[in-house]
Amino acid sequence: MNNFLTNNNLEFYFFGITKVFFVLFALLYFVFALIVVKQVTSMSKSVSDKFNYILIIFSFLHLAFSVLLILIMLGL
Amino acid sequence: MTRSKDLDTIAPDDDIIIPSPPPETPPTQPKKKKVTKTKIKTQEPSIVDDFNKKIHEILGHTKSPFSSFLVHPKVLKFTEQDDHEIIYLAVRPHWVTNISWFLISIAMLFVPLLFGYLTFFNVFPVQYRFALILFWYLINFIYAFEKFLNWYFDLFLVTNERVVDIDFNNLLNKHFAEADISVIQDVSFSIKGILGTFFNFGTVLIQTASEKNQIIFDNVSNPQKIMRLLKELRDSNEHQGGQL
Repeated sequence: MNNFLTNNNLEFYFFGITKVFFVLFALLYFVFALIVVKQVTSMSKSVSDKFNYILIIFSFLHLAFSVLLILIMLGL
Repeated sequence: MTRSKDLDTIAPDDDIIIPSPPPETPPTQPKKKKVTKTKIKTQEPSIVDDFNKKIHEILGHTKSPFSSFLVHPKVLKFTEQDDHEIIYLAVRPHWVTNISWFLISIAMLFVPLLFGYLTFFNVFPVQYRFALILFWYLINFIYAFEKFLNWYFDLFLVTNERVVDIDFNNLLNKHFAEADISVIQDVSFSIKGILGTFFNFGTVLIQTASEKNQIIFDNVSNPQKIMRLLKELRDSNEHQGGQL
């Protein structure tokens, strides 16, 4: 029992749990980013204008960064 | 005695004069008259042209495509639009309404500078901190982006047939309301507050005879002009029997 509560173990469990939460959050955020892409595309179809493609590009950039976030979280 | 010339028979004593055929000339094609569109317009001014002039007198011209008050937008289209439907006016909420979220997102940019002062934050190794800061900036970006989209796709359209209200809330909900010009009964507007008075934006309220008896446009620029346009459209619609 004493061994389990050593500083090294605590750190290991604390950061392990934190990492799991971070990855879960990042995955949820990725799903959200997908929804954003879908919605922006749908909005742009609904109301087409000159600059809609810029908005679609931004939504895809956001999606790319959310993927990057997952990769960073996994690499922790 | 000379015979009258109008008889179609020839007597034996008549002097027969065979008319010489006309000299052959190459067949000339009738010259095509160049008719320009402007000539047609000046010669036959149509009701539509007159009406368009009136609209431009009321609304003026749009200077920037990013304007929140777009007169005769050529590129803008919406899915429910008919083939022959012309958009006279497209209005978004006044740009001043964007200031609050814009300032908030600017302030949010500097929040990670404060993370260093939090003892809880310093517990994490560098990679964790980097991930958290990236996450924060993504949230910052999506906050500003969502607000911008809400503004950009919050449209009030006046066409030759109807008024349309298109609204997207929180990226997930779409709201579409329309009312035919012929069912518009009453249009009113209100300008409130210092900002509204200073920047000339307010709320336009349209009372209709349809099932949805009210259409409200909040924070739109130049509400007086919108009211005048709707009144003009309604009057023309009554006079022309719905043909603009």
